[in-house]
Amino acid sequence: MRKSVVSRGGEAMRDVAIIGVGMIPFGRRDEDSLLDMLAFASLKALDDAGLGEGNVNAVYVGNMGAGILQHQTGVASALLDRLSLYPAAAESIDNGPASGASAIKNGLLAVASGYYDYVLVAGGEKMREVTGWRATDFVATMTHPQAEYVYGVTLPGMAGMFTRLYMEKYGVTREMLVEVAIKNQQMGALNPYSHVEMIITREGIFESPHAIVNNPPAADPLHLYDACPVSDGAAAVVLCPLEMARKAAKTPVLIAGFGQATNTLTLQEREDPTDLKAVTLAAHQAFEMAKLKPGDIDVAELHDAFTILEIAESEHVGFFPKGKGGKAVLEGKTRLGGQIPINVSGGLKARGHPVGATGVAQVVEIVFQLRHELEKGRQVENAKNGLTVNFGGFGNNVLAFVLRRVEA
Amino acid sequence: MKKKIAIVAYRCRRCNKIHYPFHDRCIACKGREFEEIRPEGNARLLTYTQIFNLPWGFDQRFLVIGVVEFENNIKAMGQIKVDSADSLRTGMVMKAGWEPVRVVDGEKVYGLMLEPLT
Repeated sequence: MRKSVVSRGGEAMRDVAIIGVGMIPFGRRDEDSLLDMLAFASLKALDDAGLGEGNVNAVYVGNMGAGILQHQTGVASALLDRLSLYPAAAESIDNGPASGASAIKNGLLAVASGYYDYVLVAGGEKMREVTGWRATDFVATMTHPQAEYVYGVTLPGMAGMFTRLYMEKYGVTREMLVEVAIKNQQMGALNPYSHVEMIITREGIFESPHAIVNNPPAADPLHLYDACPVSDGAAAVVLCPLEMARKAAKTPVLIAGFGQATNTLTLQEREDPTDLKAVTLAAHQAFEMAKLKPGDIDVAELHDAFTILEIAESEHVGFFPKGKGGKAVLEGKTRLGGQIPINVSGGLKARGHPVGATGVAQVVEIVFQLRHELEKGRQVENAKNGLTVNFGGFGNNVLAFVLRRVEA
Repeated sequence: MKKKIAIVAYRCRRCNKIHYPFHDRCIACKGREFEEIRPEGNARLLTYTQIFNLPWGFDQRFLVIGVVEFENNIKAMGQIKVDSADSLRTGMVMKAGWEPVRVVDGEKVYGLMLEPLT
């Protein structure tokens, strides 16, 4: 068992902070190429960090599908070229829908080790360029080729099977799932970066006779509004050692802890398929490194690609006991002003899910929160600590970050 | 003519853990010696879903997919031959066959096809 993430051979590694963030509105962006989006977000992050005309030592780009969707590879080299950041190092990182968090982790370790001082991390995906049919197939390529993919299973399909088991074991109800969707779309409507800006109601998607038309089954027992949209988008952060970050213009945010854990590729090989072990382990590692507990977190961005995942992850990271996350949603404990505000950004459900961008976007949102930059109605009052969980595959490769506001 | 189910699972020779799909090292004990085993008997439905937004390559209205456990403890995913998932319940016993599950470049691709035993 690892004792400390930031020690190597007994030598202390450096604390790493985020000094700049940038994001572009997610949605359908027909006018922009993948490189345009990555460049726009990166320039915003560089400007935010005070490096508008400066340089970085390395660029890491989280991207899952440019090779399939855009027929383009070597995205990090192309972004570096767009930004004229030569001779910095550049790498593209694919970890499915957790590519963004994986890119940040690689940047974090590079700075913590002392090898690089300034690192730009960007995440982006352009998914609306292809039909929904093709996009669904692209995401499904993460599943096992012979044991799963061949049958036509999709990620919503995997989530549907998981939801059925979770409902049977823990008594999660459709009403609880609906409440997650309503909360996140309500918050997303306030977020200028959101793909979905439409407020939905219980009546419209659950209670009225029209609800079945408005909110038809997508992957039984999940319905249309239980799933995130397919989006285009990009986000970026700039990292540097904490000591250098203290001189930055904006309040630095420390990456106080991170964790990453994996599980079997197929759901069927997990002893208890409702147990998201990789989420539990990744969050535990992040909390241990940050020397914090779930109760110390003021705001969290969880990977709600499907409503069930917000509930399940809220339990697996330790905010609520197993089987109590759904009830907590109904009681408003995960809303702004509640016990632990979750996905105040609208989450993947409303902000959208350009897969390679999501892990970076979650961190950008928490940085906004910890710098106290958001408007009333979105800002978690006096937020000091935040958590992100980026869920790759169907929980087979998960990353978590604990972020902390650095007081002057 | 009915085709034989072509799923091959792997029982670790050291600890008896059953694997499907294949792993080069045992999930439980890291052993590398496996005995090949085939699904036996009927299968019990562990979970299922009816998918309406299908991926590229499926020109139909929906797919019903489930995970089952065979009598000799092999677990596998397959398509389920029903008109609607409403007729399914977890724990149901299913009859298993090896039938076309999709068509790629005009060629039928075979896989596990399940049907409730009435």
